[in-house]
Amino acid sequence: MDRQQEYVLRTVEERDIRFIRLWFTDVLGTLKSVAVAPAELEPAFEEGLGFDGSAIEGYTRITESDMLVLPDPGTFQVLPWRGSPPGTGRMFSDILLPDGSPSPGDPRHVLKRALKVAGDMGFSFYTHPEIEFFLFRKPVVPGEQPVPVDDAGYFDHVAQGDGHDFRRHAISMLEAMGISVEFSHHESAPGQQEIDLRYADALSTADNIMTFRTVIKEVALQQDCFASFMPKPLSGHPGSGMHTHLSLFEGDQNAFYEAGGRYQLSKVARQFIAGLMHHGPEIVAVTNQWVNSYKRLWGGAEAPAHVSWGHNNGSAMVRVPMYKPQKENSSRIEVRTLDAACNPYLAFAVLLRAGLKGIEEEYVLPEETEDDVWRLTNAERHALGIRALPASLSEAIDIMERSELVADVLGEHVFEVFLRNKRQEWADYRAQVTPFELTHLLPRL
Amino acid sequence: MTGARRKGSAAAQFARWGFDEPARAGSLAADPALAGLADADADENGLLRAIGRTADPDVALLGLVRLLEAADGPGHLGRDAHRVDELREVLGSDGPRRARLLAVLGASAALGDHLQRHPGHWARAADAGLWDAQSRSDDLVRAVSPQVRGDRSGADALRVAYRAHLLEIAALDLSCDDPTLTLPQTSEALADLAGAALEAALSVARQEHPEEAAITRLAVIALGKCGGRELNYVSDVDVVFVAEPPGDAPEGGGGDGSGSSGAAPSRASETDEAATVAAATTLATTLMRTCSASTAEGTLWPVDPALRPEGKQGPLVRTVESHERYYRRWAKTWEFQALLKARTAAGDREVGAAYLDAIRPFIWSAVERENFVEDVQAMRRRVEDNVPSRESERQIKLGVGGLRDVEFTVQLLQLVHGRTDPSLRSGTTLVGLAALAHGGYVAREDAVELDHAYRLLRTLEHRIQLYKLRRTHLMPTDAADLRRIGRSVGYRSEPGEEVIAAWRAQKVEVRRLHQRLFYRPLLSAAAKLTADEARLTPEAARARLLALGFRDPAGALRHLEALTSGTNRTAAIQRTLLPVMLGWFADESDPDYGLLTFRKLSDSLGSTHWYLKMLRDEGRAAERLAHVLARSKYAADLLMQAPESVQILAEESGLVPRTREEVLTTMRAAVRRKDDAPAAMSAARVIRRQELFRIALADLVDAIDDDAVARALTDVTEALLEVALYIATKKVSLDRDDGVSADIALIGLGRLGGAECGYASDADVVVVHRPAAGVDERAATEFVTAVVHELRRLVGSPGPDPSMEVDLDLRPEGKAGPVSRTIEGYRAYYDRWSATWEAQALLRARGVAGDAELRREFEALVDPIRHPSRGLSAAALTEIRRLKARMESERLPRGADPKTHFKLGRGGLSDVEWTIQLLQLQHAHEVPALATTGTMSALHAAAEAKLIEPADAAVLEEAWRLASGVRNAAVLYRVRGAESLPDDVRDADGIHRILGGGAGRGWELGERYRRVARRARAVTEHLFYGHDPAAPHTDPPTGARRGGGARRGVGR
Repeated sequence: MDRQQEYVLRTVEERDIRFIRLWFTDVLGTLKSVAVAPAELEPAFEEGLGFDGSAIEGYTRITESDMLVLPDPGTFQVLPWRGSPPGTGRMFSDILLPDGSPSPGDPRHVLKRALKVAGDMGFSFYTHPEIEFFLFRKPVVPGEQPVPVDDAGYFDHVAQGDGHDFRRHAISMLEAMGISVEFSHHESAPGQQEIDLRYADALSTADNIMTFRTVIKEVALQQDCFASFMPKPLSGHPGSGMHTHLSLFEGDQNAFYEAGGRYQLSKVARQFIAGLMHHGPEIVAVTNQWVNSYKRLWGGAEAPAHVSWGHNNGSAMVRVPMYKPQKENSSRIEVRTLDAACNPYLAFAVLLRAGLKGIEEEYVLPEETEDDVWRLTNAERHALGIRALPASLSEAIDIMERSELVADVLGEHVFEVFLRNKRQEWADYRAQVTPFELTHLLPRL
Repeated sequence: MTGARRKGSAAAQFARWGFDEPARAGSLAADPALAGLADADADENGLLRAIGRTADPDVALLGLVRLLEAADGPGHLGRDAHRVDELREVLGSDGPRRARLLAVLGASAALGDHLQRHPGHWARAADAGLWDAQSRSDDLVRAVSPQVRGDRSGADALRVAYRAHLLEIAALDLSCDDPTLTLPQTSEALADLAGAALEAALSVARQEHPEEAAITRLAVIALGKCGGRELNYVSDVDVVFVAEPPGDAPEGGGGDGSGSSGAAPSRASETDEAATVAAATTLATTLMRTCSASTAEGTLWPVDPALRPEGKQGPLVRTVESHERYYRRWAKTWEFQALLKARTAAGDREVGAAYLDAIRPFIWSAVERENFVEDVQAMRRRVEDNVPSRESERQIKLGVGGLRDVEFTVQLLQLVHGRTDPSLRSGTTLVGLAALAHGGYVAREDAVELDHAYRLLRTLEHRIQLYKLRRTHLMPTDAADLRRIGRSVGYRSEPGEEVIAAWRAQKVEVRRLHQRLFYRPLLSAAAKLTADEARLTPEAARARLLALGFRDPAGALRHLEALTSGTNRTAAIQRTLLPVMLGWFADESDPDYGLLTFRKLSDSLGSTHWYLKMLRDEGRAAERLAHVLARSKYAADLLMQAPESVQILAEESGLVPRTREEVLTTMRAAVRRKDDAPAAMSAARVIRRQELFRIALADLVDAIDDDAVARALTDVTEALLEVALYIATKKVSLDRDDGVSADIALIGLGRLGGAECGYASDADVVVVHRPAAGVDERAATEFVTAVVHELRRLVGSPGPDPSMEVDLDLRPEGKAGPVSRTIEGYRAYYDRWSATWEAQALLRARGVAGDAELRREFEALVDPIRHPSRGLSAAALTEIRRLKARMESERLPRGADPKTHFKLGRGGLSDVEWTIQLLQLQHAHEVPALATTGTMSALHAAAEAKLIEPADAAVLEEAWRLASGVRNAAVLYRVRGAESLPDDVRDADGIHRILGGGAGRGWELGERYRRVARRARAVTEHLFYGHDPAAPHTDPPTGARRGGGARRGVGR
């Protein structure tokens, strides 16, 4: 029994906590939770808690269905939305095989492995996500058009706005969970919000995104509305992305910074961007994993549907933000494809490895794109060598299936499970007869 | 004339005094600087003789001349400041002061250079004394203080003061009678000096960054040899930096966990902590630069912070709590080994103490961590492997029998036993070793020998480094260098040769002791040997066996007791053998089974004289035996049934598989000696068992490659079939009392036909016969049917060797068809019915036993069928594709994973084989090399003929070899009839090791298999099914699996 574990046990006692939830994530990025009573906590720390993983996506058929959940006492938090005692606590957990080795189906392990590759090259990886989501009036009925809570626009201050109040509550609750918020504002679509998390190492950020999604959903319920991270819920309005700023550090030095380089970008940064672009189409299935994701990507405006990069170019897949003088450690690049419904562990892992591949293979960065890519004609894009990203989940998984890089990053097991699941999703989607067909085709045919 | 004569005799005189270049020495001695001191004629004051006694008189004399010139020369502080008169006085008379100064000059050119730059320091060498750690530290800190250093930079002042101390340490070390005796003091002084330098460098850093210094409390923890207070002259200094905010001392480990170390620190304290760590990082960076930068006064040594958490990627400085968090969750076994020597070397003592308190519990429970055993095995291999071969012969530190070997042995024993016995927890190798001996964990006598060896190796290392103050661990090759080193440790007559001989002897000794220290005490625990031996308690023996990877220590101790108790010769020999063999068992996946089978083997063979002689004298026999027993249950079990097979290990060509003819000759001879069929068959199968053991053995010790294994297994199978056919024919004709009614031949298909048998392969055959003259067709068929029935019974029944199924299901019409046909019968059948799948099955048809003529006729008959002269029609191509597609959904056993089933899974054996067979059917008529029964030879022929891209061919070959290899390894390991990757992680590990994988990395096997199979599947889809590789995937997401039995006999 070490001090962290003792701390957890004591807190559980002192704050009259009746249940502790052990959190982990399935391959699709769904938060999974198993609740234990305080009495079970000590054995869970010592040898993990056995469970049958066969029903959880990605943990089936690994080697055997018996798995161990090993809680990480360093992540213990009391869930703030549970109110006054008796309360509920939570800890993130690692999933292990019965012999104590990490389960290949654990997305956290996938990211840790990718971080180790970076570590072996001398890099640590930091991310900073800008998470967008919608607030809808309740009830949200499956199959029906949702109604946003307000009608405001980008950065609008809404007097007495539900969203405003909502963000205040959400942020204090996030802070209570130990997650620092950088920035928050109303986004361009009605009911759309954005909250930016402070930059942190990729593993902590991915954990934080998992917590974030839960907290936002909980707060919305308290405010009698419904929060959704669906990439494109309203066809006439911009979708919700998760633009993510990435940076590599070598020890204490930002490896992306080079005084005098173009946009203060180092060679490492240029090669990293080149890697993201070269492998961009292969990894989209992971960064944008739902049928719906492609409706956002191809919805125009701020969403990137083409492989390009630019300085402050809102239509580019990779944007290089303005350098702030004297802030060499804040040098970073912004990837704009991701949406908030991704599995952050897997998404960060593929982004990182794609960029590292650029460094290893010394890819040459193509010319930057200064124009709004959406405004170019196909012929112009072709002339400029700008490739399109996959137009649908189906195309994305076909490209991913042939990617040795993605297979290597995810590991053969997750690679298989992911493809199988996504192919099923596409097949189910394709089997629909949509309102579009009923509206446009039925009257005519 | 007189002048010339005097010169000649002077040169001889110098040579006699020990100078290597007497003429040059003579002229140096005549240098004005030595006027009145050196007297080449009589040497009345003994100065030249004294110089001649140093390690390298020529170097010493040159150094002395330069010292005197510098002391008195221009550009220096002058005679008085350098106490030149006193120096000349010291040199002019015999005494310890002169001896110390000359010893330094004769052993270190680098320190001679220092004296030339700082002549006044001669007195430090001459008057060298012992300092305690604190006064050394105070002295260096004073030297870098602004008041004392004046205009000199802090770094320069530090270097000058440091070298002055180094002079003293070297002077004492070099002038003592036996440097190995004082080695601990010397190493301790060097470590204290390094600590003092760190303290002074920290003081320089604080002067440079007063603001940062005010908001942080930084402690410098020394690890490695500096931490263990056993440093050598030039070494990286391994450190870890720990910082805390000013104020109350942080708590150490085992505290109650409140305050800043709680799980949810407030934001205010987080900011404090960040500022503190940032400030401490500035100080630490400056400290490192102060020590390692090259200035006008040279450099000290690199400060190496790479042992910190996360290594080079981790933050340079952490708080106590941050360290603790890391070590709890992430640290590896080797990190705890490094921490074993942790000690506060400089900076804030309270913070240092808090850090040490916090990490100590982790060190001493490291042995309980998962993967400890695998880590240790890997570390041990690293110690031995990580030396560039070019240097391995000259390495003092790394490599077999090097210093690292000693340190590793001691540290590992400390980690294993220090958990329960705090008396073992010293960071110093020799102290730790003595404690191990005192506690009875190793034999006292062994500890003494290891202690001697270690002292000698370290002293040699000291001497090599001193000369130029270079960080090297290589024994020089130059004769002059060897002479100096030899003389400096007391060899006089042939110093170069003697020192090499002594070093080599110690290396061997260290190697031997390694095993004795680890394993012999286990025996004494089991067998209660003589009083002088180690007294390992049962608990300690248990801990050590667990650490070595034995899962049932109590059982292992019982086996050891049985093997070594008693006073007979057998027990005596086992006692010498077992310490070594235990190490070999421990390298493998199942040490317990290895030891158990070795005990059983010894129980049945122990008294036979050749057995013990073989183990003792036959070089690698015992080593191979131990590895094989603990690695492969298949081989161990074969051996248990026939212990005398172990002789194969001693035979010169024991590991060379025997050919079909050789095996057949032996089998026939054995069969002839028996009267009835069962006895004859049993005799043949005993020989098969022997050969299987030989093949498994050769396979496991990597004496032969996979192709040779397959060939050898095929040969044994064919020989057995040949003999079985003979016995069955004879028996049936005797039983029927009717003579031999037909000639019979067996045609092998599948792996047997392709000469690619695995350990668990069935024998797929079809039978062909020719009625004897005057025998009617029906009687002949009845006769052959009886013979085949008898043959299958003979080889398929339980016997001395693993039984083998003779499978006839691939014959025309399958189970419904006749057991055998005549050539004409086959011709009639194929003319009427030939289906594409039959042509495909015949691709690997090859006569394997029986009538030679019939075998040839059959092959000639089927050639036009399997190598059709017009290739494959479009309809046939469609048929074969459909057949395979249906098979994929129907044949896979219920519950089997299509990704990992070796034979029928995606990218498995049948994918590869069908793809290659398709190419054969299509092109064998135009590419003669494709007309082969071997899968790999056909693939190579196809690649040669450019029918397949080289990259695709490589993918298919890798997949086929891996699947075949894993299937074989699974049989060797213990899993009978494994058709998929193992579910159990331990099984995966054992199989992976047989395939050459690292310990504890069984999961890699699954990863590798899936990757290789995925690629092979892509090639199959392209080449066999004709999918465009760039086209999107069109399979439905879930294949509807139809039930019902498929027609067996397809694609084998």
